[in-house]
Amino acid sequence: MGNRVRRVRTLELAMAPLRVWIAVAVGGCALIALAYLPPRGAAPRGPRFATYSPEPTAARRRAQAVAKEWRETDASLRLLEDRQHVKWDSSRVGPAIIFRGPTLPPTAVRTVEAVADSMWRALGLGETKVRAALVIALERAPGSAPGPIPDQNGVAFLTPDSTDRTTCMAFLPANHFWTAVLLGHPPRHFEPDWLARWFQSGLGPCAYYAAYGTPSRSVRSWLAARNWDVALYLGTHGIAGERFLSVNLLGDPRYSWYWDGIYSLSPSTVACLAGRLDGCRSAVLYGADDDARIAVPEIVRLEQGWWRKQHLLPGERFLGDVARDVGRDRFQSFWTSSLPVDTALAAALRQPVGEWTKQWERRFIQPIRLGAAAPLGATLLALLLAAVAVSAVALAASRRQVR
Amino acid sequence: MFRRFGLLLILGVLACPLLGQDTLINRLRIRSDSLLRTWQQAVAIANLADSLERERATIGRDTIAVGALRIITNASPLPVRQAAALAWPAIDSLYGSAAADLAERPYFIRAVDPDSNARRAVLHVGLEVPWDLDLRSTTTLLLTTVPIAPPDRALATWLTGVLRPSIHPREDVGGVYLEFVTAPSQAARGCFMGDIASCIDALGLGDTNHQLERWYPSAPERRAVVTGSFADFFDHGGSAPALRECVAGRDASCTALLRSLPADVLPKPLSDAARVSLVRDALRLGGQDAYRRLLRDPEAAIADRLAEAAGVSVDSLVAGWRNAALAARPAPVELPWWAIGVALGWVTVFAGCGLSSSRWRL
Repeated sequence: MGNRVRRVRTLELAMAPLRVWIAVAVGGCALIALAYLPPRGAAPRGPRFATYSPEPTAARRRAQAVAKEWRETDASLRLLEDRQHVKWDSSRVGPAIIFRGPTLPPTAVRTVEAVADSMWRALGLGETKVRAALVIALERAPGSAPGPIPDQNGVAFLTPDSTDRTTCMAFLPANHFWTAVLLGHPPRHFEPDWLARWFQSGLGPCAYYAAYGTPSRSVRSWLAARNWDVALYLGTHGIAGERFLSVNLLGDPRYSWYWDGIYSLSPSTVACLAGRLDGCRSAVLYGADDDARIAVPEIVRLEQGWWRKQHLLPGERFLGDVARDVGRDRFQSFWTSSLPVDTALAAALRQPVGEWTKQWERRFIQPIRLGAAAPLGATLLALLLAAVAVSAVALAASRRQVR
Repeated sequence: MFRRFGLLLILGVLACPLLGQDTLINRLRIRSDSLLRTWQQAVAIANLADSLERERATIGRDTIAVGALRIITNASPLPVRQAAALAWPAIDSLYGSAAADLAERPYFIRAVDPDSNARRAVLHVGLEVPWDLDLRSTTTLLLTTVPIAPPDRALATWLTGVLRPSIHPREDVGGVYLEFVTAPSQAARGCFMGDIASCIDALGLGDTNHQLERWYPSAPERRAVVTGSFADFFDHGGSAPALRECVAGRDASCTALLRSLPADVLPKPLSDAARVSLVRDALRLGGQDAYRRLLRDPEAAIADRLAEAAGVSVDSLVAGWRNAALAARPAPVELPWWAIGVALGWVTVFAGCGLSSSRWRL
């Protein structure tokens, strides 16, 4: 019986020693734990802070809100008042300059006007149908005038309307630096062309009005719906020459704040940064479908951090670049076209809006990668581990093979 | 009659927009005045509310007094008194007689449950700190948030902030030594070599004309500044070709790029920490009233103010500061003699294991 049963049993395979495998597995786990688990019981290197800063009281927040409202009203009032009293100097070609605050010496005024004139010519402008006026509010000494401290970062524009079809006003507050420059006390390192660049950045939509006249209703409605974010700088230069672009404010993709900045933007803006045609089209045509009611008077305000509210990066120069790319005549036909914005813009560009914008975007930023992606190092490590595992299994299998 | 009526009608139609604008301006003016009055009332109420909040922050709290320090805090395990006892000598030695003003400017510290799930009231005054901070962290907190009045704009700009007591004085001065030997600036190297005029230049205390040439006189230095600090900034738009030329070695492009920057953006050869350590030296030399003398004349040049505070010439002050920085040279890493033996021993052990092991068998 015993022999019969023994014959029935299959031949037992030679087993690898189990203990070795257990030891290898435990050792591997220990190595991984050593590499990834934080050390216990170690003293922190630096002092540990977790302090919280105080928040303003509700009463203080209300005072700040009222101050903001007053600043906006005051800026509007000043623009409207100044439009009534602006004096045009026939000997000059550039924008009229109106100063608010401390009185400037006549020589300083003449210098400023000369700089404004040369900036105007550099934009390719001369005698224009719509004239521009820059209201420069110089910094006041604290307590010298009633009311909240003026906002040094908020610029405002009063576009031509039925009351005055030929004047565009720009309100440009001068901070401590620019006030010193205008009063004739520039810092030693001051470069002469900085002032011209500042004026250029302060003209905003007024430069477009001067160059191309009043836009058609559809274009104006589109620009009003997006607070003119694609028509802030005319010409080929950015805010401070060619260096500054709102896209540069994102910083370096190696740092987390870059991605914080990216994902604070709207989905279509992000999609355009990633080089997606639909995203670029949507980012450009945001507001084009809305029949935005254009307020009279139309006062465009740009607040601090305006780049955060852009629907296209670097949108501030978008129409300026379109104009440069397609030429004056085609841009003029777009600007005054009664067709819907997407049709008029595509006709001027002679290609789909998304396609052109995608190529334009690539001049400033490499397309970002969206979606989950493993880092290269992690991928290589995973492949290495996989190769080791497969080799180990193959080796073990070959050793266990019964010949 | 009809003609006259027509003329009036035309004039009326033409005047309508102007009248409309006048109405709008009047409306805005009324609104502006109304908002201004509302704002003045709101500010008065906000001041009152802030004052009440400060009063409320003191109710049921302890006031801890150590020297001129006043710390208003709630009962908690936070070691505030011990921390204040450690912090006060450092604060007193820095600000001298000006530290007495701190009796009028108390800290408000609210110690809270470190559990982030614990409910907390909104904080309007002072600092909120978890009560499990240790003594060292609490002392550091007191030193870094000394409620001293901020300095004038000129000094704050030169220092890039507010002067605070040092937490690691030895390391701070050692850091200056490292800057001497690593900064890509001839001014910093000249200072290291003992040229006091270079030190004054590198600290931004001398003539600020032609700062670029004074700080970075050679072409490699200027290229190093551009490529090291501004490569990303200049690598866009119209400045990108100039950057490429600069990287390729064209000094005129590097200079032009650096000139286009505002002066306060140009990297300083010696950092703000070096400036702070110089001010600390001046205050230490000047004795009890040094800080008050430093703040006395905001219009004076910083070098003169430092000399006035220290009671010595700026050259002597800077020379002493430089010597202190050289003396604080970080100690080089020294290998003990037995470490060599240990290293060789381990190498032998591993080599022996590798050579004597048998083939791995399953």
